[in-house]
Amino acid sequence: MQPFLIQLDAVTFAWPGQSRLLDIQSFALYRGERVFLKGPSGSGKTTLLGLLGGVLLPDSGSIKLLEKSLADLSAARRDRFRADHTGYIFQMFNLLPYLSLVENVTLPCRFSAVRRARALARSASLEQAALDLLAGLGLSDPQLLRRSVSELSIGQQQRVAAARALIGNPELVIADEPTSALDADSREAFLQLLFAECERGGSSLLFVSHDSSLEPLFDRALSLKDINRAATTAEVL
Amino acid sequence: MYLLRLAIKSLANRRFSAILTVLAIALSVTLLLAVEKVRTEARASFTSTIAGTDLVVGARSGSVQLLLYSVFRIGNATNNIRWDSYQHVTEHPQVAWAIPLSLGDSHRGFRVMGTTPGYFEHYRHGRDQALVFASGAQFDDLYDAVLGADVARELGYALTDEMVLAHGTGSVSFVDHADKPFRVSGILRKTGTPVDRTIHISLQGIEALHVDWQQGMPGRGAASVSAEQAREMDLTPKAITAVLLGLTSRISTFAVQREINQFGGEPLQAVLPGVALQELWSLLGMAEKALFIVSLFVVLTGLVGMLTAILSSLNERRREMAILRSVGARPRHVFSLLLLEAASLAFAGIMIGLGLMYLCLWLAQPLILSRYGLYIAITPPGPYEWTLLGAILAASVLMGSVPAWRAYRQSLADGLSIRT
Repeated sequence: MQPFLIQLDAVTFAWPGQSRLLDIQSFALYRGERVFLKGPSGSGKTTLLGLLGGVLLPDSGSIKLLEKSLADLSAARRDRFRADHTGYIFQMFNLLPYLSLVENVTLPCRFSAVRRARALARSASLEQAALDLLAGLGLSDPQLLRRSVSELSIGQQQRVAAARALIGNPELVIADEPTSALDADSREAFLQLLFAECERGGSSLLFVSHDSSLEPLFDRALSLKDINRAATTAEVL
Repeated sequence: MYLLRLAIKSLANRRFSAILTVLAIALSVTLLLAVEKVRTEARASFTSTIAGTDLVVGARSGSVQLLLYSVFRIGNATNNIRWDSYQHVTEHPQVAWAIPLSLGDSHRGFRVMGTTPGYFEHYRHGRDQALVFASGAQFDDLYDAVLGADVARELGYALTDEMVLAHGTGSVSFVDHADKPFRVSGILRKTGTPVDRTIHISLQGIEALHVDWQQGMPGRGAASVSAEQAREMDLTPKAITAVLLGLTSRISTFAVQREINQFGGEPLQAVLPGVALQELWSLLGMAEKALFIVSLFVVLTGLVGMLTAILSSLNERRREMAILRSVGARPRHVFSLLLLEAASLAFAGIMIGLGLMYLCLWLAQPLILSRYGLYIAITPPGPYEWTLLGAILAASVLMGSVPAWRAYRQSLADGLSIRT
């Protein structure tokens, strides 16, 4: 059995003054796994990602990332832990418009010494590491690389964002609706590239989306509704 | 210093508002530095209006008043000094030289001053600068006049031109000395002191003008004396207005001052020009301080403009902050980023302001010299200027901490979620 990457145990969470949003008895992600988590908007998906990122703390229960309980770390240590071990891809407009393509990709290495060291262990420089990843994701045209990020298509932007999430080989990549702005053909192409790069870097992938057509591509698919007891009770009531 | 690079790139991305902000700060810094420069130079120039003179002697009044009428030629003396008192003072063993001054007449708004050739030899201004003739020479004939630079320029006089002096000191006079015209024998170079606005003639010249006057009116008919007749008369003055004294040794200044103040013949007063100038400047200094305070407020306005620009950009930059957070930036990085942004804007503003000030100075220097006789030296910023600029930078960082703190709170609340 592979070790746990994420382990949630009896986690509950409610925003102040609101009814309980999350009540997850157990949820786990193994190393190297690619998991599809289905969740429509408003289902507590963003909150769950906040908990996994250590930006939010649960009201009760424990969340472990790499066998380490996030609640035991200070806010600053949680921030650093997240930066070292998690890469993020969001829905769209993931990039800083004032940085070049390569600078956007190397950004996590500026804030995490761990990821910087890992990137440099594989490549001669951070720039080379970024270029390798971009090439792996199908962005190798030098003319394209010189462009301002706002001139790229959304599909290209998302691939740059993926490269940024993957640089320095974080153990976990969290993708939050990264394909919702893409058309069906590019969606699958994007996923194939993402899978390949995750595998090469040894990163697990937690893919959150409301689009169940992508489910079959993953090792495992879960629905937030099924694991969140708060959602069911809310529906019953 | 990756954060500094990020801050600068982020600013460059919003370059329009960033440039305006920098410009506002730069202009306010230019104003502040220019005001400071002119302030210190004006004070230096003012306090060196008269140099090399150890004592100024006049009828007893106030030291500032004596200085005003004898050196600045503003207002009138309440009393004159009798000629024999003057002679008594000049005979003092410690007195190296004495220059009598006789005021009371004018020519089209400029004061006429009777004096001796010693004036051109001993009068000093600025950093021990003597009077220099731009053209001609000192008065030689009874009816010769030496003009200050402004007099010649404003009235358009050249050498050997004739001029008619007026009685009294008003710019419009109803009684003039038309019977005894004067001839321009020399024009002085610009000094930036009241000398520029003075017409110098000999003491005897002053006397000749008034030789036939009785009870403040010119003599008429048989009583009038022509210019040529006056030459034959005894033109020893009966009274003068003030005396400039040079002493053989500085050490005796206070002793001589005391002796003059205690002179039994008539109430006299001797003042140290440096002390009286300081006293006068402390009166004028109010305006100078007000100017400084106003320019400080202009700098503050520039910094508040920066604060406004950064604060109003925060909301539209929540996405930028969330992206930074998601790639591993901690809230304190966000705080530092905004602080660095404020510091970069202020630093650019200060440097451009400094450059602009020197450009203005370089352009205005010849103009100020010819117009006001004020020589403003272009020197690198001294410790005082650097302290001032450092304080502005510190103030900008302090003000920058307001948006930085807001962004810090905001990024804690927003976490990784992008809200727009």
